[in-house]
Amino acid sequence: MTEQSNSNLQENVHRILLMVVIFVAASGVGYIFRYVDFPDTNIVVIYLLAVLITAWLTRSFAFGFIASILATFSFNYFFAEPLFTFSVNDPNYIITFITMTVTALVTSTLTSHSKRSALAAQEKEAETKAIYNLTNHLTAAKDIHDIAGIAIFAISDCFSCKAACLCFDENGLPEQTFIQQAAKEKRIRREVTNAQEIKCQLEGIRTGFEIGTEFYDWPIYGRESILGIIRIPKEKAQIMNESQTRLLRSMIESTALAMDRFRSVEQRMQSREEIVKERYRANLLRAISHDLRTPLSGIIGTSEMLMDMTEANDPRHALAGNIQKDANWLHSLVENILNLTRLQDGKLALKKEMEAVEEVIGGAINHIAGRSPEYEIEVNVPDDLLLVPMDAKLIEQVIINLLDNAIRHTKPGNEICITVEPAADTNTVKFVIRDRGTGIRESDLPYIFQIFYAVHAKHTDSGSGIGLGLAICETIVKAHGGDIEAHNRMDGPGSEFIFTLPMEGNRK
Amino acid sequence: MSNYNECILVVEDDIQIQNFICYALKNEGFRYITAGTGEGALNKLVSEPVDIMLLDLGLPDFDGMEVLKKVREWSEMPIIVVSARDQDKEKASALDGGADDYLTKPFSATELMARIRVALRHLYKQGNHIPQVVLSVGGLQIDFDKRLVYLDAKEVHITPMEYNLLSLLFRNIGKVLTTGSIIKEVWGIGYGTDTQALRALMAALRRKIEKNPAKPRYIITEIGVGYRLVDE
Repeated sequence: MTEQSNSNLQENVHRILLMVVIFVAASGVGYIFRYVDFPDTNIVVIYLLAVLITAWLTRSFAFGFIASILATFSFNYFFAEPLFTFSVNDPNYIITFITMTVTALVTSTLTSHSKRSALAAQEKEAETKAIYNLTNHLTAAKDIHDIAGIAIFAISDCFSCKAACLCFDENGLPEQTFIQQAAKEKRIRREVTNAQEIKCQLEGIRTGFEIGTEFYDWPIYGRESILGIIRIPKEKAQIMNESQTRLLRSMIESTALAMDRFRSVEQRMQSREEIVKERYRANLLRAISHDLRTPLSGIIGTSEMLMDMTEANDPRHALAGNIQKDANWLHSLVENILNLTRLQDGKLALKKEMEAVEEVIGGAINHIAGRSPEYEIEVNVPDDLLLVPMDAKLIEQVIINLLDNAIRHTKPGNEICITVEPAADTNTVKFVIRDRGTGIRESDLPYIFQIFYAVHAKHTDSGSGIGLGLAICETIVKAHGGDIEAHNRMDGPGSEFIFTLPMEGNRK
Repeated sequence: MSNYNECILVVEDDIQIQNFICYALKNEGFRYITAGTGEGALNKLVSEPVDIMLLDLGLPDFDGMEVLKKVREWSEMPIIVVSARDQDKEKASALDGGADDYLTKPFSATELMARIRVALRHLYKQGNHIPQVVLSVGGLQIDFDKRLVYLDAKEVHITPMEYNLLSLLFRNIGKVLTTGSIIKEVWGIGYGTDTQALRALMAALRRKIEKNPAKPRYIITEIGVGYRLVDE
């Protein structure tokens, strides 16, 4: 700031000297006029001319005013009788002085005003031109760094300094390097040492700039976040006047618009790509599910018909029965794989709704009863209606898988039961599936929910147990924010699977 | 050796499935005709007397839903949709779009025949316009005249809302009703799609007519789609 007042002072000294020179010249001309005996009026006009020239050259109201007064007093001092005093003999001169002062004031004001307007217009034009040039070039930019390069080129050119620009990435974090204009056609990349610090500092200010050690930093505000900063070298930034700052702001705004536009185009392209991918994936899943279900339909149906056509003791009946069983197993595998792909992608949010626990269990049992009618499954649900937020289709799949697992390891007639009870203390609901089967080997327990871990090696070739079903149970339950565990029963043989679902405090 | 006079149109593009369905129908003594495309199905429908249609949604020429919509413009015949699509939304939209029933592939012949028998009963009911005053399923009986419900010959005390729900199911016995359509019928249009009230009402009703609500004998839940009152 001291430098600015220094330069002001210097300019004012210049103006005063200029004014003195002009008035000395005017007084000189006045003496010549007096010498050749021209009337006083001409001398008055010469002084008015001097005021006019002063106002024109200094462009200042104050100097115009001073010049007006000075002109009147000079005339009085040098040319009105008695000479070299500020008094007059002829009272008519008083009128001359007043008229002269008023005329000088009016003309000087008008002159300096018009001169100022002309200057302002010129400045405006230069500004407009600079911004126009900038935006013109910005539209041709290929990427964000191109935009930054164009912006600092224009700014450096306009303010004759080595401006720089630090871009922020899509996540709103500063990049490691910034671009600086080094010479007319040369830009360099420089390491940022305190990127995080800069970001923190910028978050504090909404307008204006941040003063650093080497640069003044002006943030480039996008619609949603800061897109980068324009850095002006300290020595230049300190002597910038108001109109220059305004121009810089406008240029930064144009840059922000260009960057914003570029970012949104980028985003749009990205989301379009994602939509295409998503559609492709959905179509693929649909095609797979269709193409697998249709032939399975034929196999299951035809083997069923074959069973109908043969007697129960006919070996062909048993063969057809095996075909049907395997096809059924294949079917449940297809359902599980489809559910797994849907879930593991992670993008498909669960369709959670408040569902009645009894209905979901009823659906699962209905499904199992169709496939394994020889098993009787005991169900214990609370007397009160229990509504739990869940994706019913997926939880039904979990229960089906756990019941399937129980059936696989339990002989018909032995106990299989499913119990549901709310656990008020943890605000969850507990589902327990117990069987009186062979139980789980201790060494298998830690791996039971791992994909493709087959419990009981001897079963792997019997076509009934890649451990996919249990892995899916875990995936689904975890996706609901619940837990699943398995252990052997304490009260005799058999295993026990327990999973919990959170209530999310929707009900007491 | 036809046991039935009704003719069933099988619309299915997969030849294996078509064979299996036709065999099952023949076994039961039904008359049937087949079509492999939507166009063919519509042609058969206008040229031959068809009573029930089995419709696959994935047809080579156009979507089965289109066939469904076109047929419903002029016919009330029972339509059973057969599809490999397992999306609840599609099931619901097929049912709300006028299908009487929905079978997901793969299905068993027994299941198919059971559904066809239900459809046949609907067909008879349509022809016979005398409204039945009393309907029953197993031990469950409803008297539309007196607005009373009996279970194993004993009167069950149910609330007016429960009665509305049960009578709606009885009027569509054997058919899957989507949750959306039930809410519209019982609570009225404008109630929205909040299923919680329906779940609560259903739970209350089941506690009065089912021995174990988690193993229902009468009202079956079709997860993600709706409810069905079984028809023996």
